[in-house]
Amino acid sequence: MDMLTLSHVSKAFGEHTVIDDLSFSVAEHSVFGFIGRNGAGKTTTINMILGLLRQDAGEIWVNQEPVHYGQTTTNRYVGYLPDVPEFYDFMTPKEYLSLCGDITGMQKAQKNNRITELLELVGLDGINKHIHGFSRGMKQRLGIAQALLNQPLLLICDEPTSALDPLGRKEFLDILSDARQYTTIIFSTHILSDVERICDEIALLNNGKIALCGTLDEIKGLHQGSCLEIVFDSDRDAAAFQGIFPATKQLSDVRLSFDKTTKTDMLHMMQYLAEHHIQIQRMELLEATLEELFMEVISE
Amino acid sequence: MKQLTTFLRKELLYTIRTGRLLILTILFILFGVMSPAIAKLTPWLMEMMSDSLAETGIMITEMEVNALTSWTQFYKNIPIALIVFILMFSNIMTQEYQRGTLILIVTKGMKHSAIVIAKGIVLCFLWTAGYWLAFAITYWYNAYFWNNSIASNIGFSAASFYLLGLWLLSLILLFSVVFTSYSNVLLASGGCFLTVYLLGLFPKLENYLPVKLLQCTNLLFEGSSRPDYYYAVGITLVLCVVNITASILAFNRRTRLKAASQ
Ligand SMILES: Nc1ncnc2c1ncn2[C@@H]1O[C@H](COP(=O)(O)OP(=O)(O)OP(=O)(O)O)[C@@H](O)[C@H]1O
Ligand SMILES: [Mg+2]
Repeated sequence: MDMLTLSHVSKAFGEHTVIDDLSFSVAEHSVFGFIGRNGAGKTTTINMILGLLRQDAGEIWVNQEPVHYGQTTTNRYVGYLPDVPEFYDFMTPKEYLSLCGDITGMQKAQKNNRITELLELVGLDGINKHIHGFSRGMKQRLGIAQALLNQPLLLICDEPTSALDPLGRKEFLDILSDARQYTTIIFSTHILSDVERICDEIALLNNGKIALCGTLDEIKGLHQGSCLEIVFDSDRDAAAFQGIFPATKQLSDVRLSFDKTTKTDMLHMMQYLAEHHIQIQRMELLEATLEELFMEVISE
Repeated sequence: MKQLTTFLRKELLYTIRTGRLLILTILFILFGVMSPAIAKLTPWLMEMMSDSLAETGIMITEMEVNALTSWTQFYKNIPIALIVFILMFSNIMTQEYQRGTLILIVTKGMKHSAIVIAKGIVLCFLWTAGYWLAFAITYWYNAYFWNNSIASNIGFSAASFYLLGLWLLSLILLFSVVFTSYSNVLLASGGCFLTVYLLGLFPKLENYLPVKLLQCTNLLFEGSSRPDYYYAVGITLVLCVVNITASILAFNRRTRLKAASQ
């Protein structure tokens, strides 16, 4: 079942079309990475999903229910962590979470248990000062706690890791990994290593459209053939090998690099090496990184 | 209902923790004490100055001070308290827009109407408590020093000014829903008041406008009649209801909950 579906959604601010006929869906219990450079329209899309912004065309469904602009009832399925979460800073984290719990109508005992659990999870337990004195990272932690408070079916995080230090980032991704047991996660970011770490599926937003979409493996597979590097023992061997398999680049006397090599190509080469008793130090198939893939797609 | 009480609790916590409640209490106690104090001190001040004034040729006759003097002072001073109150609370909505604090609340499923109603109740409650506190203090001092029975319509005139305050606060609430900046809210409300004030200068309209309630001091003296004020009271009440209803409707339709400066 799809937890979120966007169908032919468009949005323009004045003359400037930000989202152009965008369609995609997110399956239940997946972690969906929503990627795009600054200004690509990630936040705009998220605001439309939350009913905070009206799309010019198209429809959006959350948990099979249509999203209405304004006070949408679909928000009861959604936990939202904005890029810069803003809280009432005269409250303590506990008081704020309690406020949120009351708004969603949680039972008192359940609410209190959940708050204790979450504060511990995000590492804010025992912090009793007002939110006023919080750092950005601490606010981000409180942000994830409030988003997870009523165990949402759909968790939407807008660039959640950009304010966190490396340790905080790892902790945050761990929290998301745990949360996927009961929720579907959409996660907008431009930090690709985070995407590789936890996302099942990714979509790259470019010029208001999805430029690339699929599972991580599918996307990496798209880029047929990776770069193979061989380091020989002697420069003579290297030169001889060049004669048979012309290298794309000679990195040094003993180092050859072959672009667009498949695994079959690699086997051929290995067979040749073995048959001719050519000794090598190292042979490595370098997979294209997401980054390279995206640069390629975006620059097209 | 639960959402409303939740948000009310949050608003009260805000007024307490930011020190606003304390400032308001001090403000209204001050304004309650001020009027009888000024009345009490006037003859004494006059006496102090009479020597120097006599040299310049002005003669001061014995001044009689009573509860009426104090009540007149009260209605001269209390508009200042109202203005301070308005300056302090005109950002009740706009600061939520400016900071974007409503986004998380609304995406949690908070009803828009509960937000406006809670804000309205808080404004109304603080004005009611503060105003009648000041009134009670003045009343008590007047009874203690002099005798309140000399003034007529004490309750009615006090209620008139109180109602005028409510009308202004309902305007503040309405414009807070419409505008996202503090200064626009103040300008619009001030503009509204000024327009009504200028309209009130036409004798034909005078009795039908909220600004008539500013003249409530006259009621304290014998000879002025209460029925002259009934239209103004009725119309002001209606306007309050209209403003509050319009605020709720407008806020229900409002979807940009964060000011543009992103
Ligand atoms: N309210 C608005 N009025 C006019 N233009 C807007 C508005 N909101 C966003 N835009 C424009 O829409 C485009 C997309 O903005 P958006 O915030 O969705 O990008 P983003 O992908 O979230 O970027 P970032 O990675 O920086 O957060 C930008 O060019 C921005 O200038
Ligand atoms: Mg953004």
